[in-house]
Parts: sequence; structure tokens; C-alpha cells
Amino acid sequence: MIDWQYSESIESPDIVSIKKKYTNYIGGKFVEPKSKKYINTISPSTEELLSKVPLSNEKDINNAVNSAKEGFEVWSKLTPNQRSRYLFKIARLIQERSREFAVLESLDGGKPIKESRDFDLPQVAANFFYFAGWADKLDLSWATKSLKPYGVVGQIIPWNFPLLMLAWKIAPALATGNTVVLKPAETTPLTALLFAEICEQAGLPPGVVNIVTGDGSTGSLIVNHKDINKIAFTGSTQVGKLIQKSLAGRDVGLTLELGGKAANIVYEDAAIDQAVEGVVNGIFFNQGHVCCAGSRLLLQESIHDEFVKKLEKRMQSLRVGNPLDKNTDIGAINSKEQLDKITGLVNEGVEDGGELFQTECELPGNGFWFRPTLFTNVQPSYSIAREEIFGPVLTTLTFRTPEEAVEIANNTEYGLSAGVWTEKGSKILWTADRLDAGVVWANTFNKFDPSSPFGGYKESGFGREGGRHGLLSYLKASS
Amino acid sequence: MIDIKKTYKNYVDGKYVRSESGKTYTKELKNEFYELPLTSKKDIRDAVTSSKDGYKKWSSTTPYLRMQILYRLSEMIEGNKESYVELLMDHGLTKQKATKDIDESIQNIVWFAGLADKWEQLAGNLNPVSEEYFNISHQNPIGVVFSLSGSNISLNELLMSILPSLTVGCSVISYSEENSVLALKFAEDINNSDFPSGSLNILSGKFENILNDVSKHVEINLVAIHKDLNNGGLKAIEQNASESVKRVFSKPSIEGLSSILPYLETKTVWHPKGT
Repeated sequence: MIDWQYSESIESPDIVSIKKKYTNYIGGKFVEPKSKKYINTISPSTEELLSKVPLSNEKDINNAVNSAKEGFEVWSKLTPNQRSRYLFKIARLIQERSREFAVLESLDGGKPIKESRDFDLPQVAANFFYFAGWADKLDLSWATKSLKPYGVVGQIIPWNFPLLMLAWKIAPALATGNTVVLKPAETTPLTALLFAEICEQAGLPPGVVNIVTGDGSTGSLIVNHKDINKIAFTGSTQVGKLIQKSLAGRDVGLTLELGGKAANIVYEDAAIDQAVEGVVNGIFFNQGHVCCAGSRLLLQESIHDEFVKKLEKRMQSLRVGNPLDKNTDIGAINSKEQLDKITGLVNEGVEDGGELFQTECELPGNGFWFRPTLFTNVQPSYSIAREEIFGPVLTTLTFRTPEEAVEIANNTEYGLSAGVWTEKGSKILWTADRLDAGVVWANTFNKFDPSSPFGGYKESGFGREGGRHGLLSYLKASS
Repeated sequence: MIDIKKTYKNYVDGKYVRSESGKTYTKELKNEFYELPLTSKKDIRDAVTSSKDGYKKWSSTTPYLRMQILYRLSEMIEGNKESYVELLMDHGLTKQKATKDIDESIQNIVWFAGLADKWEQLAGNLNPVSEEYFNISHQNPIGVVFSLSGSNISLNELLMSILPSLTVGCSVISYSEENSVLALKFAEDINNSDFPSGSLNILSGKFENILNDVSKHVEINLVAIHKDLNNGGLKAIEQNASESVKRVFSKPSIEGLSSILPYLETKTVWHPKGT
């Protein structure tokens, strides 16, 4: 028998030079925060300090919003074709510096380089390319002339896909003629600040894109600023509700991309091996830090035992470790706080009576890690079957009939995504029609494309990002 | 000889009902006065129960049939045109204005009737994703809509607060204050147009009495307000709505395609292509 030795393949971090300290990007300039306060950003895979970024205060937000207002005066007077060209240029520059961004994303956020390099960065560039082409075709996009840009848009994004969420927000906002104040997440601010350099390189007029860093308090200052015309938020349902409440009674647009607890339904007539692969991708992609993750596996009773056996075997082959190792499947959990949350919910699942399976693997000594985890023997009432865990934890439920599968799938306040696995076409369409979910993946999971609208039903939020429908999130209908 | 005066009641689940509270309020017109139902919290809950059921029936009605039922409504109103004109004149409108309002109403119903089997083609599309996948975005109606009508005495304005959401398959709870006599008269034509029960419920009363019940009710999916509210009414609605991420639209556009957009949820379905 051959003794296979594992040899790692580490992407060099040297391609990106990380500054000791970063500033905000306001009015086309890199400016020190008026607050004079900074927060640390660490690498979740080593807990080493990477850099410091501004903890922006009211004055900083004021400056950013004022700059975006001035930027709007310039941006809205350009021809649509000029706006289109800026976006094309940004897309190109991202492609050129894509390796640098990918390494920085993995360092700051903990995701495997395989994903930041092959998924996040190509998608970031693709989003700018896609919306670049809409900028001069807005009159053709929806059969109405009454759609106008909002003006200054405040954008608050999460830590799971830092640069991709930036692209999902900035590309359509700029294409529709708005200007933005964007705040990246507290734990993953670095790629957004590197993106500011791209804006500078592209020669984007000052004030069109403003990037300010900080924590929840900074986000709240943006939401409550009197001159903000629209807020676009991606994050937890809890914070989304607070934002919706803060905006009550104000003439400010709002789109919310919130949590999810997606059902991944596997019928007995599915192609089982493909389904196993899809289910693994559905929950373990990006450490399960995905709002649309297929976190509730719904198995038809007749295939439960066989499926779980194959799933556990496949899970065991997942490689957990250094995000910069090109072989790594599962990187670091984004923060200590998130790790604690996952651990807490998993413990609760065990106490409730769920049967726990975790893969056997060595975890690095430093950093935040969690083993790929599967729960079976779960009741729908357990919190692991109801709450968004946002980690590499899959919960299994069973059903007997398609009607029952749909009922269980929809029995949640969320409605972001869902998966259906069957080889029978009519059953796919029947099921997809009945699922309360903004995205339905049939015989696939976690596929994304800038042309494909994404967004939720019910408490998963409102508005769509991507596609022709995504334009509507940044255009105001006036009668 | 003594005149017989019509008693107007709420229209819920295909039936004419008094408010369970037994309360009414008076509406005095030029020649006539009416005692109208003062809708209570319980009435709203009953209406929502009916609307949930009505949503199932109405949204699963084929677009072809929805189109014909809406067209039938225009036939009903055309047939009762004179009585509408008379009622509007009793509200103080000139004959000319009243006639124009009814003509415009009929025109708009016909427009939306014809949209019932076309909006999915206008609001949905195939998405050209860059891998081998079939990817389509289409729409579901958002569900149960509560619509507060405007304060002008106009059948056309009342209709424009109902038709966009009704046409796409939502069930609607239409609530009127100032123009409630007109709204409850209109209920009779709804009743004669083959709409499934619960697809459109029509109620009258004082909105402030039920503002919290409506905006906190988790089974109302969207609240549309077609008039200016005093005393921070909109703020209160939006604060309550945030508890369940309920959609709230204040004076939504009633122009063309943009009129139906608030009432749609876009669903995108992916499937691989292969052999």
C-alpha cells in the first residue's frame, strides 16, 4: 500500500502589502478619521493583528454623506455612457489585481483561497461588468419612465463575502446613477479599503464612492443620517428589523437582505451521489457563513439511512485548515464571537436530543475553527432546526410525501433560498412553485451569477440584488 | 309613500356583514345619510382569515380566468353607471365630473383585466448566466394586502388602490374612511363578478382605530397607504411592520407596470443543463 503523504500548497501572502493602519476613503481622498479612533482587524486563522482601521464617528459619517451628495451632483450629470465606462474600467482593474484581493480576503476573513480566488473575485469582476452594461440602458430595463435614482445610498455589508457584497451593492447603485457611502463589516474591512484604491485608479469622480469603517454604531449613524436617501443592508434579520424600525416615517428607501434557514429537499428519486455533493456544497461552502446555506436537509424517509452514510463519508474528506493552503475546503470561522454562537447552538442541539456527527480532523492551535457537523434525529422544534447557525452545521429532518416536504420547508419565518433534488422534472416544477423562497436551486445549490436576481421572501428581507430586478432596488418609482 | 334606503355593510368573505362590535358611524351626504360599519379589531382578524383563504383560491385561478372575472367587473359597473353617478353627485360632484370618474374607472378595469395574463411576461425573464444552467426569474403575488384608500370621492381612485395588487393574484382588504359609501356600493359589483370569496374584502371605519391591529398582524404581508396620514400614523405603521419585516408602501406608484411591482415576490429557479 502506498503511504500517501499530504503536501500542502500555500499561496504566498507576499502578493499583498498590508498597511499598519488604514484611513477612510471620502471625497476621493484617503482621510484620517475625525474620531481619531481605530479598531483592530485580525486574521481569524491565526489571531494575529493584520491592521487597524478607523472607528468612524458622527463627523466622519457627516463628511462621507456630504461628499456623496456633492458626488451625486457630478455623477448624475455625466452621460449614461460615461457612467458605464467607469464601471467597465473598475471591472477590468479588479480582474488585474484579483490575486492580491483574493489573498487579502482569505487573510482578513478566513475563507479558503480556493473560494476567494475561484468564486469571490471572479464574481466581483463579473458584477461590475454586468451592471456596467445596464448604466446606459436603464430606459430599456423596465417599461416605465418614472424610475429615478435615489441620490445618496448608505450601504452596510456583512463579513461573509466582504468584497462580493461590496460589488453586489456598489455596482448596481452606481449603474443606476446613485452615489454611495459604504461601510464594510467590522471584522473584514480590508478588501473594501483596497477597493478604494481601484476607485482612485479608475479616476472615479470624488464622492461617488465613499468607504467608511467602524462597528455597529457607525452603521447606525449612516442609517439615521438626515441626508441619506436609501439604505441597502445585508446582515442578520435582527439588525434588519432594527434598521426598518429606525427608518419608520422617513422618506428613505430600504432593501434588506437578511437571514435564512434554507431547506434542501432530497426526494427518493434523486441522483443520490450528485445530491450528496450538492448538499455538502450547500452547507459547507464558505464555512457555512452563507445566508442562503442549505442548512436544513430534508430527506425522504426511504433514503435516509443510505444518504446519511454517504454524506458522513463525504464530509470526512473535507480538509479543514489554513485558508491560504490551496487544498483547504473549510477555512477559519470568521470571529471568536461567531465561533461562540455556533458552539452554543450545537451544544443546545445535543442537549435537545439531536444525534451529532463531526468529522475527525486536526484543528490548528490558534485561530477559530469548527469541525464539519451533521445532526440527525432532529425534531423540527429544536433550535438547530429553526435558528440560523451561520456555520458548518447541517440539520437533518425527514418527510414522507412531497406535500409534507413543502410544508416543512415553508414552516419558517425565513424565505431566502431552497434546494430540490429529484430526477423527475414535473416534481421539480411542482415543488419550486410551492416553496416560499427567492431562489430555488434544483439539482444544484449555491450557484450565483450577476444576471440572476437574489433576495428573500418573508423575514429574509425585501428587494433583489442582481439581474434586471436588481436595478429596481436602486430606482425610485415616482407617480 | 316612504322611501326605502339601502343599508350598507362590510363585505367580508363574500358576505355582507355588520361590524361584530355593533358600532356604526354616520355619513351624511346631500340628500341621504348612512350608518356605516365601524370596523373593529375582531373584524380585521376575520377579514385576514378570509383573505388568506381567498389568496389561495384567487392566486391559483388561471390568469385567463382572472382576466375574464376582472372584465366582468367592468360590465357590472357599466350596467350600474347611473346609480354610481347619482351617488357621486350626492357626495357633491357635478354630473360631468361624476360621469368622467365612472368612465375612467371602467377604462382602468379593462386595462388591468388585460394585464392579468401578461404581467408575468413583462416582469419576469430568463437570466443569461455564464454557466450551463437554465435560470428563470418569475413572480409570485406577495399574499394578503391591506390597502387604505385615498380620501377623494372617486371610484377611479378607489379602484387604483385595489386593482394593481388584485390583478397579480393578491387578496386585498380594502379599507375606506371618507369614500366608504362608494366602496361598500362597489362591493355589490364585486359580489356579482365571480370573484372567489375572500379575494377582495371591503371594510369601512376609522383607520386610526385599527392601525395597530393591521400593521402588527403577521398574516398581512403588505400594507399600502394611498393617502397622507396625520399624527405620525405612517411612522407607527412602519415601526409595527418592522417586527415581521412587513412591506409598507406609502402612496405607491399607480402608473403602468410600476403599479404592480410592489405586490410581487421574484423567485429565481436554477437547473443544470446536461445530457
